[in-house]
Amino acid sequence: MTIGLLRRASLLGAGLAAALSGAAAAGEYNLTVDRVPVDTGTFTRIGIGYNGATPGPVLRFKEGEDVTINVTNNLSEPTSIHWHGLILPFEQDGVPGISYDGIAPGETFTYRFPITQSGTYWFHSHSGFQEPDGAYGAIVIEPKKREPFRYDREYVVQLTDAHPHSGDRIMRNLKMMPDYYNRQQRTLFDFLKDSKEMGLDAALSERGAWGDMRMMPTDIEDLQGFTPLINGKSSAQNWTGLFTPGERVRLRFINSSAMTYFDIRIPGLKMTVVQADGNNVLPVPVDEFRIAVAETYDVLIQPTEDKAYSVFAESMGRTSSVRGTLATAEGMKGDVPDLRKPPLLTMADMGMAHEGMDHGSMNMSGSTHTMPDGSTMKGMDHSTMNMPGGTHTMPDGSTMKGMDHSTMNMPGGTHAMPDGSTMKGMDHSTMNMGSSDPFYAPGSGLMPAAANGGKFLSYNDLRTQKPLYPHREATREIELRLTGNMERYMWSINGIKYADAEPIRLQYGERVRFKFVNETMMTHPMHLHGMWSILDTGKGKWNPIKHVVSVAPGTTVFMETEVDAPGQWAFHCHLSYHADSGMFRKVIVEGGPEGKAAALPVKTEG
Amino acid sequence: MSSSRILGAVLGASLSFALLTSGLALAAGSHGGGHGMHDMKIGKPGDPAKVSRTIEITMYDNYYEPESLDIKEGETIRFVVRNAGEFVHEFNIATAAMHEAHRPEMMMMMEHGVLEPDRINLEAAKAMQASMGHGMHNEANSVLLEPGKSGEIVWTFPKHADLEFACNVPGHYETGMHGKVKLSH
Repeated sequence: MTIGLLRRASLLGAGLAAALSGAAAAGEYNLTVDRVPVDTGTFTRIGIGYNGATPGPVLRFKEGEDVTINVTNNLSEPTSIHWHGLILPFEQDGVPGISYDGIAPGETFTYRFPITQSGTYWFHSHSGFQEPDGAYGAIVIEPKKREPFRYDREYVVQLTDAHPHSGDRIMRNLKMMPDYYNRQQRTLFDFLKDSKEMGLDAALSERGAWGDMRMMPTDIEDLQGFTPLINGKSSAQNWTGLFTPGERVRLRFINSSAMTYFDIRIPGLKMTVVQADGNNVLPVPVDEFRIAVAETYDVLIQPTEDKAYSVFAESMGRTSSVRGTLATAEGMKGDVPDLRKPPLLTMADMGMAHEGMDHGSMNMSGSTHTMPDGSTMKGMDHSTMNMPGGTHTMPDGSTMKGMDHSTMNMPGGTHAMPDGSTMKGMDHSTMNMGSSDPFYAPGSGLMPAAANGGKFLSYNDLRTQKPLYPHREATREIELRLTGNMERYMWSINGIKYADAEPIRLQYGERVRFKFVNETMMTHPMHLHGMWSILDTGKGKWNPIKHVVSVAPGTTVFMETEVDAPGQWAFHCHLSYHADSGMFRKVIVEGGPEGKAAALPVKTEG
Repeated sequence: MSSSRILGAVLGASLSFALLTSGLALAAGSHGGGHGMHDMKIGKPGDPAKVSRTIEITMYDNYYEPESLDIKEGETIRFVVRNAGEFVHEFNIATAAMHEAHRPEMMMMMEHGVLEPDRINLEAAKAMQASMGHGMHNEANSVLLEPGKSGEIVWTFPKHADLEFACNVPGHYETGMHGKVKLSH
């Protein structure tokens, strides 16, 4: 049946392509949505895929082409495809109930839209839990103009987190018991150990505080027990990309996981980040980077030795990992590093700063503070992060005295030097200090550090290669508090879940500044459809242009959006189970130039 | 115009450091004792009267045209370098190892705000010099240019050397902004 439909679709495609020849570049693509086997090596199940496989095919488009994509639903339930990160008319965006009605079982829906951008993106179902069940694929768009970098070959590296349970079952279990999938519960023994280390009072009061938040310091991944895959293959199945020594290779990393952030490194190779979320950035050489759910990063590498290199991705909570291989021949294998120690969330990740709590009252002076790299710092005063008289080691081995860490939270701001002079735009992320990344709460347990002690990419390092809009002041600010009740597995925005919320109304032509205040202890990858999310890193016109903005616990992050896409759009946390339980909004863009304003459905509410 | 002239005079060639405090440049060594340009291994500043030909180099984001050079050993060349890109770029003649040693210096300049994506911040350069004792001086084997600017190098090539021309602005070399200098008899 699948084959029959495929044939019919491709015949139809050929006919249409012939009819359209002579017009501007136009490509016709066919996708079927199928029930497919998932085999991770550790478990097998039936999932959902495209053209008979999960992940689905890599769709290769050209900037400037008009695409026609016929999607045939072979499931017994409705489906949809959302073209993640693509700028297109809202009716083509693929969100049931917002863009269109979805695709009924047996139906073929035809998407038509122009490709106005280039880079690495992906597509996935926006219906139920089809995406966590395997309904995703990659999109690669070739630019019109020469790329601002050279490479000899390229690979898509699509990360996913296959789970033995179906998405529906996972959601039921989480609703029933929110820590159902947390295998790293703190035990009585941990408590006794804490009491010994920090004193009984401190240990008790810390437990109390966690209890108030209805969370645990191990709540970094609220879904465990998954098998991470690279291009559909587990570590044992070992996805392999070939290279010839000396070649420059472009890796297009896509995180299509339902719930999992990954820290990625290739031991023995420096990676140069050249693109984030499809938009070129000024190249940043790094040793390791974190990829939030739904983000993409393109990196260039240049392996010179005739050997196998492991592409190693560890989940942020260090509950699992996957390796793929870059090698000069099939069947070669490199060393696979061990999982690092799981991080523990700290009081900083509880967002106590929002409550005006003085971290000094945590009574940690004199105690030992564990840094992400496992080293310790004694007597650190979290209330000011001030280290009077202390010495701060610079990457070159020189030292700076009496540095005030509280000023490190000012990306792009000026930095006072001891002699009173100032330095602009100093990049603290290269200093190898746990507290140096302004996109994590000071003292956060989640702060990443490179396994080899080298450079870990920060949002603060990203500068767009090409500003898409003139830089200007935002016309208004909208505060979105990211909220939730972990105990009842309810996630929301401003304390209101999607089902009860009014849409966010934007006016065409405004530049809106979104203020995300993360009041939960989870990290949320926020995704606005249809329009770019310009992440404020304090770099002005060089601020990076993204489609997913990850907001760590206890932090406030700003992004700006030029409201230039009439219609209605989805705006949500991209963690599948958070989006479904209510951390989701509809955005309506009202107005617009003659002929460009969207004909919005009369009934837009609900 | 006047600012470009100042740049030409002050920075016209590459920026480099005498890192008085940390000694990084000295430790880097391979940048070629005293910064390389008198080192016969890579050649030497050329006598403008002995130039045999002029080669035009156009710098784009992030690549050169031409992408490689064919030069006769001992030849003295005038390079007219134009930055046609939107970002600051460098044209630097050296060995791969020297380029590698030069990159942390360029990275530090970027971190200190001296090297902005599309301009060279002289104020920040002064502040850096004042606060950290990092100095800058000319290099005859390279030219660092803001977008739209042009510069010249006259260089006499040695008999035998494994040379590259490259841009060491952070990330540019790594993404392919370098080319081989093929020396022939």
